[in-house]
Amino acid sequence: MNAVDATDRGAVQQDVEPPSLLTIILDTNPHAWALLADSLPLSKVVANLLVFINAHVAINHANRVAVIASHSERAEWLYPTPTQPRQQHDQANGATHDGDGERADVHPPNDANKYRPFAQLEHALVTNLRRLMTTTTAPSLSTSPATLLAGALTRALAYISKQTAALPTATTSTQFNYSDPSSSTAAGGNDLNTDPTKAHTTLGLTSRILVVSVSGDLADKYIEIMNAIFACQRLSIPIDVLKLAGDPVFLQQAADTTGGIYMHLATPQARAGFLQYLMFAYLPDQTARENLIMPAGEGEGVDFRAACFCHKRIVDVGFVCSICLSIFCEPLADGTCLLCGSHLSMGNYGRNPAVVPKRKKGKGKKRALDSGADTPAGSGGEGTPAPG
Amino acid sequence: MTSTASQRALDYLEQLPGTTFTKLYQQPSTALAIFRRMLPHLAKTLVMAILYMPTPLSVSDLETWVKPDHESLQARDRALSILQRLRILFDTHDAAGRAAYKLSDAFARSLRLALTGGGNHRSFGVPCSTPDKTPVSIDYLDTFARKQWEAILYYVVGSASAGLGAEVDISAGTKQLLQKGEFVAMRGRTAHITQAGFTFLLQEINAQIWTLLIVYLEVSSSLQMDPVDVLSFLFTLGSLELGISYSTSNLTPTQQQMLEDLADFGLVYRRTSDDAADRYYPTRLATTLTSDAPALPNASLTSTATGMTTGGAGGASAPQNEKGYIIVETNYRLYAYTSSPLPISILSLFATLHTRYPNLITAKITKSSIHAAITAGITSDQIITYLTTHAHPILRRQQPVLPPTVVDQIRLWQIEGERMTAWRGYLIRDVGSAEEYEKAVAYAEALGVLRKEFKAKGSFFVTRMDQMSGYFKAQAVRKREAIAQREAEARGGGGGAGRK
Repeated sequence: MNAVDATDRGAVQQDVEPPSLLTIILDTNPHAWALLADSLPLSKVVANLLVFINAHVAINHANRVAVIASHSERAEWLYPTPTQPRQQHDQANGATHDGDGERADVHPPNDANKYRPFAQLEHALVTNLRRLMTTTTAPSLSTSPATLLAGALTRALAYISKQTAALPTATTSTQFNYSDPSSSTAAGGNDLNTDPTKAHTTLGLTSRILVVSVSGDLADKYIEIMNAIFACQRLSIPIDVLKLAGDPVFLQQAADTTGGIYMHLATPQARAGFLQYLMFAYLPDQTARENLIMPAGEGEGVDFRAACFCHKRIVDVGFVCSICLSIFCEPLADGTCLLCGSHLSMGNYGRNPAVVPKRKKGKGKKRALDSGADTPAGSGGEGTPAPG
Repeated sequence: MTSTASQRALDYLEQLPGTTFTKLYQQPSTALAIFRRMLPHLAKTLVMAILYMPTPLSVSDLETWVKPDHESLQARDRALSILQRLRILFDTHDAAGRAAYKLSDAFARSLRLALTGGGNHRSFGVPCSTPDKTPVSIDYLDTFARKQWEAILYYVVGSASAGLGAEVDISAGTKQLLQKGEFVAMRGRTAHITQAGFTFLLQEINAQIWTLLIVYLEVSSSLQMDPVDVLSFLFTLGSLELGISYSTSNLTPTQQQMLEDLADFGLVYRRTSDDAADRYYPTRLATTLTSDAPALPNASLTSTATGMTTGGAGGASAPQNEKGYIIVETNYRLYAYTSSPLPISILSLFATLHTRYPNLITAKITKSSIHAAITAGITSDQIITYLTTHAHPILRRQQPVLPPTVVDQIRLWQIEGERMTAWRGYLIRDVGSAEEYEKAVAYAEALGVLRKEFKAKGSFFVTRMDQMSGYFKAQAVRKREAIAQREAEARGGGGGAGRK
């Protein structure tokens, strides 16, 4: 009777969850895994990850997954297997599903006991990982003890934006030919048009990144990593971090900034429950997280330290260029910013702060002014120049 | 939409006895399909979280995990309700004696097997080891599936308006099935479409398949076919890959027999010649059975996902069911880019056709056309769903998809005729204190079974009772425990303090 009003018009649509793209960055730094070999070898992690990936794919038919290895000197695709020129050709032909299937040029053995998509995924991932390990040479290992997380994050972001662009714009960008609609949609090649549930821009792909990290010392690539983190924040892609070893400086910030989950499995006991951690904390996608209380990173315990731009040292207190906001660990020799070249003067840094005699009636306002003068950032001499 | 399809399957599954479920869940493919297809999102998350847990998940842990706002609690109750209805989740007690949840053993084992692979269940289909001498392309499979399925639809529609011939005739068995499902009724020698038939026609294709398959299930159990066999084969079909031939060697006799019928529906393709009799190809209708995305080639994990692109350009035989082609304007005019008689005749059920061009027909939705449809047993919701499902991409860009004036007017036209709606259900009264009453009503609402609340009389009306009775039993137990505890405290007031 009272069904006719404006409220229940769109209510029918919200039954279908948006598909979710999970990009896993697996830190394959051999140095770090060698240290972990006793409690949690890489092979076990990969086996557990595969179960986790299968669980993710099982949740929704349209869910996708991508795995990137952040190796010692390069970032490499583990899944989907990248194929070279042929793939571009396919895309020009209008194949929208450039992702997973077509890239996989390797075929697993037929096994009636395993769901085929799972088998394909597993086969591709293991093959690629094996190839990556065999192509790793001893000299390349000795040169860099760290991992190329920045490169992997950037690759992940590029992949995510490509996938996202392929999905929701499918309906909006297709040119409609009034004279022959059937040929227009076929030529546009967007099969996605055909699905009423996908057509909603609100139902686009939701993406997230999971970093399984074992190495510390990421300060080398501080700027690149932070840029990637801010890009994720803008695109509202949470970065979940599961830390198995190493010091957590930037990744903790990454999870905190993007609203992801940060956990550190420090003890062997905790590492033994690797799979359960994955299934419980990291499996829920954004849709499910709306209804669940997720393990919050230790809110106040986040390490917000930055690395300086000059020596890549992690600093508690540093010097910030007032023009380009670059961070330096020590005063610049000639007062010229290394990045933007602006001439800066240090003000009264290094001098003993003028101690203001304590006054009985000194109020908070006054004190704030005084203390402001002491910090090096308030470099009194120049003032802030107007941009441009 | 898809929810209607899964709802239908859910309703069917629910009335199966518990032993059938245990047998069903022996197959990993079935466990995976039910997990993927039938469960709400939160329930999936929940199952996955518990799956590898060695101990049961205590109720209080779950309560701390779910956010305390109304919407989340509602989602939680619904998830738990469906999980219990499908016999996936059971109440138990953990080591400390607190109430807890655990997964059904069979289900958990099978789902774990599905995720990790292994075992020797062969439930994901046995692909043929030898290549087919005359391989079948995906295009061909799509064409075959469409032809078969449209033949069924033509038969149903054809019974509504004469003069619509199908390209292929459907088998006598299928015709019988359609009668059993009461999509058509025989009057004399000619078939007439029924109200259920209209409902069937206006569904999207995945829901249509499920509707028909459930009728098939009901009929098959009366033909001494084991429903477990039938169901697990259907779920297996859903996990197969398009374009690959599978061997019939490991099928039970029941399933062999099913293959024949399913080939009639266009779900599987097999040649009858001797050398190819032991292999079958699933078509897209079958492989999308257990996916959320109906008839959409988004099986992104399979290497064969691009088949539909070429199929769309086939002119008259284009898959109109799977592509939006209807434009509705605010002035009730309707334009449909189609030349195929099937969608045209469906449209003519509720709209007055106006002009026909080679690739376009124009029509108008009028009061009389809607009334005619309603008298035939079509509801306004069906019409609106049909128009939304098949809306042209141009319409889909806006939100809401259909012009609100038209949607409201269609509903109003229906309401003009009917002033009363009947629901079968249960009236619950004498619930207890006002607070208990509020709680019970909130629970019923969360389950989605609440129809009407009579606050002044302290009673309310629900459509399903099994969950509610479980709730009241739990409440009663809790109350009794609370009373017992209070009494114990009252008896030994000093003693209680001494213990601390």
